[in-house]
Amino acid sequence: MRPGARVSWMLAALLYAGAASAEGPPQGAPPPKLPPGVSAILWKISVPPGKEPTPEKVALGEKLFLDKRLSLDDSVSCSTCHDPDKGFVDGKPVSEGVEKRKGMRNSPTVLNAMFNATQFWDGRAPTLEDQAKLPILNPVEMAMPSPEAVVAKVRGIPEYAAEFKRVFGREVNFDDLASAIAAFERTQFSGSAPFDRFLLQGDGKALDASAKRGWALFNGKARCNECHAANATSPLFSDQKFHNIGIAAHKQDFVKLAQQGLRVVRTGDEKQIDELALQTEFSELGRFLVTKQDNDVGSFKTPTLRNVGITAPYMHDGSLATLWDVMDHYNKGGIANPFLDGGMQRLGLTEAEIDDVVAFLFTLTDERFAKLNAKELAKQRGRKNVRPERDTAVAMGKKGSLGDIGFSPNVQVKNPADIGVYGGEASEGKTADKAKAPAK
Amino acid sequence: MTYRKKLLTGLCALLSGVGGAALATDSAPGERPRHELPPSKDGNLVLGLCDGETSLEVKGVKEGEPLSRAQALEVTSQLMQEWRRKNPDARWDVVAQAPTPPPSPRKPSAGKSNQAEGPTASSGAAGMAGKKDANVQTGHTYGAFSERDEALWAASTQAFVEEGNRVFHDADALGSKVAVSCDMCHPDAANTHPETYPKYQVQFGRVALLRDMINWCIENPVRGKPLADDDPKMKAMEAYIYSKRKGVPLEFGKH
Repeated sequence: MRPGARVSWMLAALLYAGAASAEGPPQGAPPPKLPPGVSAILWKISVPPGKEPTPEKVALGEKLFLDKRLSLDDSVSCSTCHDPDKGFVDGKPVSEGVEKRKGMRNSPTVLNAMFNATQFWDGRAPTLEDQAKLPILNPVEMAMPSPEAVVAKVRGIPEYAAEFKRVFGREVNFDDLASAIAAFERTQFSGSAPFDRFLLQGDGKALDASAKRGWALFNGKARCNECHAANATSPLFSDQKFHNIGIAAHKQDFVKLAQQGLRVVRTGDEKQIDELALQTEFSELGRFLVTKQDNDVGSFKTPTLRNVGITAPYMHDGSLATLWDVMDHYNKGGIANPFLDGGMQRLGLTEAEIDDVVAFLFTLTDERFAKLNAKELAKQRGRKNVRPERDTAVAMGKKGSLGDIGFSPNVQVKNPADIGVYGGEASEGKTADKAKAPAK
Repeated sequence: MTYRKKLLTGLCALLSGVGGAALATDSAPGERPRHELPPSKDGNLVLGLCDGETSLEVKGVKEGEPLSRAQALEVTSQLMQEWRRKNPDARWDVVAQAPTPPPSPRKPSAGKSNQAEGPTASSGAAGMAGKKDANVQTGHTYGAFSERDEALWAASTQAFVEEGNRVFHDADALGSKVAVSCDMCHPDAANTHPETYPKYQVQFGRVALLRDMINWCIENPVRGKPLADDDPKMKAMEAYIYSKRKGVPLEFGKH
């Protein structure tokens, strides 16, 4: 860089800083333009003070996010498994790192990850910064041998050496690298879905009749909202808790595995848990690896349902291909195991009701992925008759001992979706949609 | 006398005044009682007060003509004066005697002023923070709530209250044809005494809920269309009105 250019850079930076302090938003304030499905309150609660994304950090973070040189053999970037064009997932059951090495877990979307109370399926990382470091070092992901090796490699790339200096005012280090990636991720909020237009902007046509029935079922008979809770303040459709819903029970003797796990796992060792979670059968212990609490055996974080239509396959191991499979799984009360969450019970949903809930779930996808969403819906619908998880006899209570299902309210009398408030329904120009009660 | 006692005394006085009023509520059984307003022979606008008795002819404004907020404030204050004249001993509101007009004349933004005060039940989240790692939820699937959870619950509830605050001050949101909003008689939700409901309400000749009274006022003097019990605006206004009485003992059925 020529000296003159450097001076003008510094001048620009100074001017920028001056302008920011004079007129810019106060520190810690959310961006002025948030989509309807993202709340300023949640933004403030989720972004730690001092970690607000700045344009410089975001630009650097995005570059790092897309850069394969962060991996051992320059073959894998963050975006390999979190592809921005595919809703920040890879569409594979479990992710593939360098040399096509397979992990044990399905790649979760980066969209709205900034609002998660914890990161990873088992919540082993408390922040985005912590999260960003681990895949770079995991042997089946980006496989860099150590933080020092990452720093040395990035320092050797001249453009980064200069850019880190400019953004952070110091040499490349692992913390700043993670902080830049996290800053980029904190711009990936998403909340412009047909559902938001329907509920918050009073656009009765944003959801068709089937999706509206699905929204009623979601809050009622299908009981989705027990864990996938959402309101205008926290519109994630997730309680951010950990539940054993029996997915891992497909292939594990939990009791034995938990006993073995107890002997191996060192409490609080993020790096060890990261490797156990991605490379060993202990992966299926889920949250237990982090807490060593019996209650957490086989439990995984409730993921956000925003953009769920474009983030197939589903569950922590990507073992369910479609949302119809997911509904089948819940309809039969999950898979029995000693640690099954007490909230799991058969639902008794009919085939038509399952279709309605799935139709609703596809309305949670951000408009910017509308095309991909339509494509995914068609794809999943195309395989609607392949239903490995379906067990109608158990779901309907004709087989098994899952007891009677709860009261199924008559939505014509009282729509469960109208109980209490989602929030924002009555706001300016958002007339209550009288057609909200689903048509029979 | 404490402030609260003063307020309650004022309320009791008001309610006894209402009790003595003859009400035009001869409605068919099952029908919502109505306040029949005397017609104006000049076709002027006639506005009724919530006591079911007092009304005022607005000279110079024909029925059906829109009012400005300033005009509405003028008319409602005349109505209140008329009521005070009829009930000299009743004190509508000790708070209202030093009225502070809402900050913006039309659509006040929801500020921090509605932060409810007083004792709150807690799930013990504050204590959780002292534990080893506040970010890690251990054990109980449903039991262990974090400070983040509590912050979101509080924020969700507060947003609901702010929405109610907005509707309460917004004649358009209330569907008023005469620019009257709730705050004109109930500044800061004063004298709404939500803690006394359900109770026998003389205007109705039956026991009423808070929402019934909100709708009563929406008909007169707001002149809007009554809201459905589960209308989001109704729910929000109830939240706002309750929030203003946080910490006040429940006085179910009190007159």
